[in-house]
Amino acid sequence: MNKEIIKNKKRGLGFYFRIYCKIIAQDLKSKMSYRADFIISTFGMLLTNIVGFMSFYILFKNFPSINGWNYHEMLFLYGFSLIALTPLQCLFDNNWNLRMQVESGDFIKYCFRPINIFFYFISEVFDVKGLGQLVFGTGVLVYAWTCLGIPVNIRIIIQLILLLITASLFMIAIMNVAAATCFWIVRSGYVMIVMFRFKDYARYPVSIFDGIFKIIFTFVIPIAFIAYYPGIVILRPNEIPLLSKLSPLFGILFFWLSYRFWMLGAEKYDGTGS
Amino acid sequence: MKKYLALTIAGMTRTLQFRLGILVTVLGNLIYMTLVYYLWKAIYASSPSQIVNGMTFTDTIIYLVLATALFNFLDMYIVWELSRNIQSGAICLDLLKPVNYRVYMFFSFFGDNVMSFFLTFLPTFVVVYFVADGKIDLGLNLIMFAISVAFALLLNFSVEMLVATICLYTESTWGINIVKESIVLLFSGATIPLVFFPEGLRTVIGYLPFRCIYDTPLNILLEKPGYTLDSGIWSMIALQAVWCIILSLAGRAFWNFSVRRITVNGG
Repeated sequence: MNKEIIKNKKRGLGFYFRIYCKIIAQDLKSKMSYRADFIISTFGMLLTNIVGFMSFYILFKNFPSINGWNYHEMLFLYGFSLIALTPLQCLFDNNWNLRMQVESGDFIKYCFRPINIFFYFISEVFDVKGLGQLVFGTGVLVYAWTCLGIPVNIRIIIQLILLLITASLFMIAIMNVAAATCFWIVRSGYVMIVMFRFKDYARYPVSIFDGIFKIIFTFVIPIAFIAYYPGIVILRPNEIPLLSKLSPLFGILFFWLSYRFWMLGAEKYDGTGS
Repeated sequence: MKKYLALTIAGMTRTLQFRLGILVTVLGNLIYMTLVYYLWKAIYASSPSQIVNGMTFTDTIIYLVLATALFNFLDMYIVWELSRNIQSGAICLDLLKPVNYRVYMFFSFFGDNVMSFFLTFLPTFVVVYFVADGKIDLGLNLIMFAISVAFALLLNFSVEMLVATICLYTESTWGINIVKESIVLLFSGATIPLVFFPEGLRTVIGYLPFRCIYDTPLNILLEKPGYTLDSGIWSMIALQAVWCIILSLAGRAFWNFSVRRITVNGG
């Protein structure tokens, strides 16, 4: 008994990784039983991406460049943003269910488990269809990369991967905060819907905004960090702004803040009494 | 008639219950519209000519802002509501009520529409009217616009209901809904004005009902060529009416056929 408790206290990454694999395996098994849903969802995901690309293409049919960025550079940012948004789609999809679980009282079950509440809640769902977006985004990025003639070497690939990982943290942070509002506000689904729409504008350069809105989209709703600031490191290596260099730091900071906010709500949650 | 009025008022009060929600939605939309504004400002600034496809920057922005406002006004979450009702079993009680289910659905969402008309569409329109400074006429076109929006509302409802009925079979709400949403938003002109589309694609869109939801009312309001009282307006409204009739008849037949095979687990 005593030994068990001591063992419980020492929980490294390995422990959480093993648990994560087990929970995800259960989720995938339960998803397998709804095959039609899986096929339609994957098709829907693909179609949204195609439609999104079509509107992007139609725009550039009419206008050759935006703010000094040509078609292929914009395509690069587009692909970059799609990949950077994939971890949100695949790993953090359960945030969309938070409101329902909090309202119905089912959320209380997470509070009784001897592991981190946020970790347990988030790991319960792995959204397979999000991988379609990853494939689509990678295709777009590789195409733009070749057309722009950017060199390929180990250094730049590692740089790209690191930038993508830190860039993904920003939208995750936004959605964590949006989801966690349901601990205070009844029926807060609209906060998530409103916030989720902003992701479509992450692919445009932040230089199109000026004044207060540049600050809002950089520091309040930080969509500028999803594609523009990290993307510029690879697109224009000679003119990297300071914010690009700081973007990994900001990513971790934003994620941590959103995590604290989420936990603040979860810790004060006391069920519905049923 | 009285029962439908009661349903509408219930919907309105339900919306008013969540005042904070209204505030956040309005605020979120304002920020969203500034995004749209800045993006198109940058696009037009980089363009060599002031007029692209017959649209100036002001034309485009009026079109897009009003399209977003119209989208918020017409939006109904029927697909989600229906699939939740099926899962929870609540649909049984609604089906037992002495009203036609489709009509019942329409009026229970109509209250939301009325509220969002006053809370989002009307304020946006007033702002756009003053910002556009004389670009929008206040005349007969307003009445025609109102008629056209009424048809658009019915059309949007019919599309939603058709899609919701498909969900009875597939048990996949998210997938079906996202397919509907992405197709409707692109092909109705809500994201990019339809005049920007390449020729071939525009011909295809001409045969689809979606443009009647956002593009037709907006063009009538802005008195675009082919949508004025002198030329073409009646044929455009007739087209809306025809699509309304086709889709609601098809939707009704599909629903009546499908409702027999609903299986509700528990409830």
